[in-house]
Amino acid sequence: MSFFGFDDNNLENDRQRFLRGEQPNNQPIPEYTWGAEGYDGLGDALQEGGDDLNDETFGGSGPVGKDFDFSGTSGQPEYQSAENQHPAPHNELKYHDPLLGPPSQHQQQSAPKGIPPNSLESLWDDKSPFSALPRTSSRASPGYGSPIGYNRLESPSQGMNRNGMRNAGDLDGEIRILAQQNREREMAAQRQILLQQQQQQEEYLLRQQEQELRLREREQQQQNYLQEQERRRYLLQQEQMRQQELQQRDLRHDLMRQRERELLQQQQYQQQTRTPPPRMLASPSPRFLEHQRQMQIIQYQQERQQALRVQELQEQVRMENLERQMRAQQIGGHQRQLSNHTMAELQAAQAQLERRQRSQSPAARLPLGEGLHYVPQQPRTLADITQSDMLRDLGGTPAEQETLRMEAMRKIVEAEKLEEKRRRRAAKIAHMSRYNDLMTQSDKDFITRIQVSQLVTQDPYADDFYAQAYSQIMRSRMGLPGHDERVLKFGAGGGIGLGVAPKGNHRRQSAMQKMQQQVERIVNNARRREEEKGMHSLHSLQGALGKTSGRSYKAAPRQLLQVDPNASTSPSLAHATAHISKQDAADDAARPKEDAGAEAARLGREALGDAAHATDFVNRDPLTQKEALHTLEDIHDLVLRAEQLKQEEPPEEDEEQYVAWDIEYSAIVDKMWLTVKVMAPIATSDPHPFISLLMPMKGKRVLLRLARHFTNQQMLTMLTLLVACYSQLDVVRTSAILDTLEDTKERAEVERQLHTFLATVLQVIVSVVSNASLRLITGLLGLLLDKNDVPTLAQTEAGLSVITVLLARVEVIKQSLSTLTEEEMPTPDDASQWQMMYDHMFELLTPVFPLLFPSTRMLTRGYQLPPSNPVIDALDRPAWQFLATFALHAAPEQQPILVQSLREKVLENVISAKKGWVADEEERAAKLANVDLFLQALGLSSALIEP
Amino acid sequence: MDIASGIQEPFDLIRLSLSERVFVKLRGDRELSGVLHAYDGHMNLILSDVEETIMIVDLPEGQTEGTGAVSMAKRKSEMLFVRGDGVILVAPGGR
Repeated sequence: MSFFGFDDNNLENDRQRFLRGEQPNNQPIPEYTWGAEGYDGLGDALQEGGDDLNDETFGGSGPVGKDFDFSGTSGQPEYQSAENQHPAPHNELKYHDPLLGPPSQHQQQSAPKGIPPNSLESLWDDKSPFSALPRTSSRASPGYGSPIGYNRLESPSQGMNRNGMRNAGDLDGEIRILAQQNREREMAAQRQILLQQQQQQEEYLLRQQEQELRLREREQQQQNYLQEQERRRYLLQQEQMRQQELQQRDLRHDLMRQRERELLQQQQYQQQTRTPPPRMLASPSPRFLEHQRQMQIIQYQQERQQALRVQELQEQVRMENLERQMRAQQIGGHQRQLSNHTMAELQAAQAQLERRQRSQSPAARLPLGEGLHYVPQQPRTLADITQSDMLRDLGGTPAEQETLRMEAMRKIVEAEKLEEKRRRRAAKIAHMSRYNDLMTQSDKDFITRIQVSQLVTQDPYADDFYAQAYSQIMRSRMGLPGHDERVLKFGAGGGIGLGVAPKGNHRRQSAMQKMQQQVERIVNNARRREEEKGMHSLHSLQGALGKTSGRSYKAAPRQLLQVDPNASTSPSLAHATAHISKQDAADDAARPKEDAGAEAARLGREALGDAAHATDFVNRDPLTQKEALHTLEDIHDLVLRAEQLKQEEPPEEDEEQYVAWDIEYSAIVDKMWLTVKVMAPIATSDPHPFISLLMPMKGKRVLLRLARHFTNQQMLTMLTLLVACYSQLDVVRTSAILDTLEDTKERAEVERQLHTFLATVLQVIVSVVSNASLRLITGLLGLLLDKNDVPTLAQTEAGLSVITVLLARVEVIKQSLSTLTEEEMPTPDDASQWQMMYDHMFELLTPVFPLLFPSTRMLTRGYQLPPSNPVIDALDRPAWQFLATFALHAAPEQQPILVQSLREKVLENVISAKKGWVADEEERAAKLANVDLFLQALGLSSALIEP
Repeated sequence: MDIASGIQEPFDLIRLSLSERVFVKLRGDRELSGVLHAYDGHMNLILSDVEETIMIVDLPEGQTEGTGAVSMAKRKSEMLFVRGDGVILVAPGGR
């Protein structure tokens, strides 16, 4: 650098040369150990004036930046980091350590004192700051043996490193190269001495550490000893002995403690000084000074400690002696005490002792004699107390005592149980009460409102239909009145279906009230909002600025098919229906053409033969299955509507409402009446439309529900039609299948239909007939005989059943002649009419009496009946029933005919029963019961028949 | 009588078959015959007194199609819920 008066190029050249591996002048590379052992004193020789601004120029002692690297070739990161970590050593020279005074002094002082080189060397070798610790220096010591060899051993990279360093920071070292070379030998010798010195020093340090450890141990002992002393002193005080000596001792103790404190302070100081921050180690010279000072301190301490130790030992010996003396005195003292002091004092002391012991731990109590009194008594249970008290109070006999005791015990146990239960409940309530008042009343109301608003519907009954129907059934089963509140109504339309009411209606009622209140509130709020809206008349301004599409197409996709169920005139609907029912339409169109001839012929025939009715009706083809089903669907809709209306029937007192309701209801019933087509003339078609409606299973079933809405007159009309068209019924037409024993699907189906018919349609007939007069029955029978082929009809179960119903009603009328009023009393004319009709039927049926039995019919059809079959007996039963009812009405001259024709059948049954040609007793009984049913009607019995 | 007025959608035709015997063809070579009690928009059905017929083609290993023997398995159920996604057709009248 120019201010050193050196040529830059020259330096650079040297460096390059070195990098190439050339040894400058074949001389070993010098060591730069500024301020250390190799310090040549050139620092003083240098004429360095005007150093005042050096700090400013070089940036003080802070980390050296890169801005000095003018050549730009020394950017090795390794070196950089090392440089940054450790402030450039040459700066240390100018570093004015406040502790050490001016640097020149320090340099002069440090050189002769022999500063160990290890710290600096290790710093260069291995960049870790901890490597400079004295501990590690011993590891590196072999290398110090010959500095030249050490240098030679260096790897090129290290050499480069050093080179770079030289270039980077240590320029004044460069200046001294020549001078140093001259002193090479001298330095080596010096170093040897220094090394030895260092080793000695280390050894000394180690020894010192050991000593310190020992010292600490001793201190510990001392402390323990002191504690002991204090305890003893306490005892001594208690016993009031040797006050003076104790005072002395106290003094001595104080002294000892003082000394101890001093020692501690020193130790702390040592510890502090012994572990200075690692950074500080990077600067060897001040660190070494410190070290020296420390060593001096330690030396001093050691001396002192040794002295102390001697002192302590002496003390210890003295103490021991003292102790021995004390013990001797204690024994003597006690004796003296006993004689001198009162017993009370001793006891007080003892009590004090005991108290102290008790306060220590509860376990300590028990072994004490006094403590025995405090042994916790087992708390006497309530039972024990009561028991013993009772026994003491009532000095009864042992048996009485025993019973009383038992009784008491039982009561006590019960009480305890109750108490336990109560406690558990209280605990539970307390546990749950954590959540008390989490919701305010308005919160609860809010939630209730939401829930309720989801329950409210416009049509609570229909929306809750199945629950309603089910609850009705449940009610009727439980025998509760069927007209309970099942639907909660609110104002104008809207309500809540309640479903099945539970038995405990108590809570439900209050819940209902609450809900009603809530709903009212909702309704009122909605109304108020409406009013407010109207007041502000916001809607009057709506759309004033044009309309916006309120609907998004995402939410509601464009409707492609517009099917309006109400507007049949709508072209789209017409199209839709046309599409769906194209086939039907085609059928309709085709049919008239096909049947045109037949239709015309029928019309002509009717016009000729039955001119009176020709104008009344137009003959039609019977309903197709689909038409019938469709009509039935309509009927079902109407029935449901009518049933619902029936539910909502207002009380008759409410004139206005009742009238309105009646009009609606009547309209529905009228529509139903039209839909069932009962009023269509009998000859409209075969089967009659009404009969067609009874063919499907659901048609039969719906009749029961229809019957509830029709008036008696309507029902009679229906019954008349039914009787007139009886043979058209499917159950009559298909009954032949039942006379087979093959288990086919058809048979099963017919059987099902028949059972449904008997359970539904026949029940309707029974209900109507049961109120009919003899005249009406006669008329019905006449119609039946006139319009149907009775012998054929009688060979079906359905036919037999309806005739039986009619006959039974007549029998009832005959039986109850005495109780009948004048009006109901059949006129003689009616009676004769009936008898005529009966005679006519008797005549018709006489040839087919045996054929009334399915078993007989089966035989005639060629079926081989098994000898015993309970099924057949069951099949024959309706026939026997019919014959029994029939026989009741038979005139005396008719009875032999009846018996004659049925003789074989009766005998067959009786013989097979009596001769044991039956599978079991049950069958035998069934056979005899069947026969007796008939015979008893004639005043006979199966018992009279002898096989 | 105007039948068409009451029929606006295909389901109306199924409605006519309520509580009537219907024939139902199902995926997986199954057929049902039973009384229809209820249906919904997914064509889920509830049938009673059902006879189910399953066609099973026994095709031995390695044989070409069409050569296996077809056998029928039948079973009866009192009440059956039919999931709608298997229904191919519903026809009135159980065959």
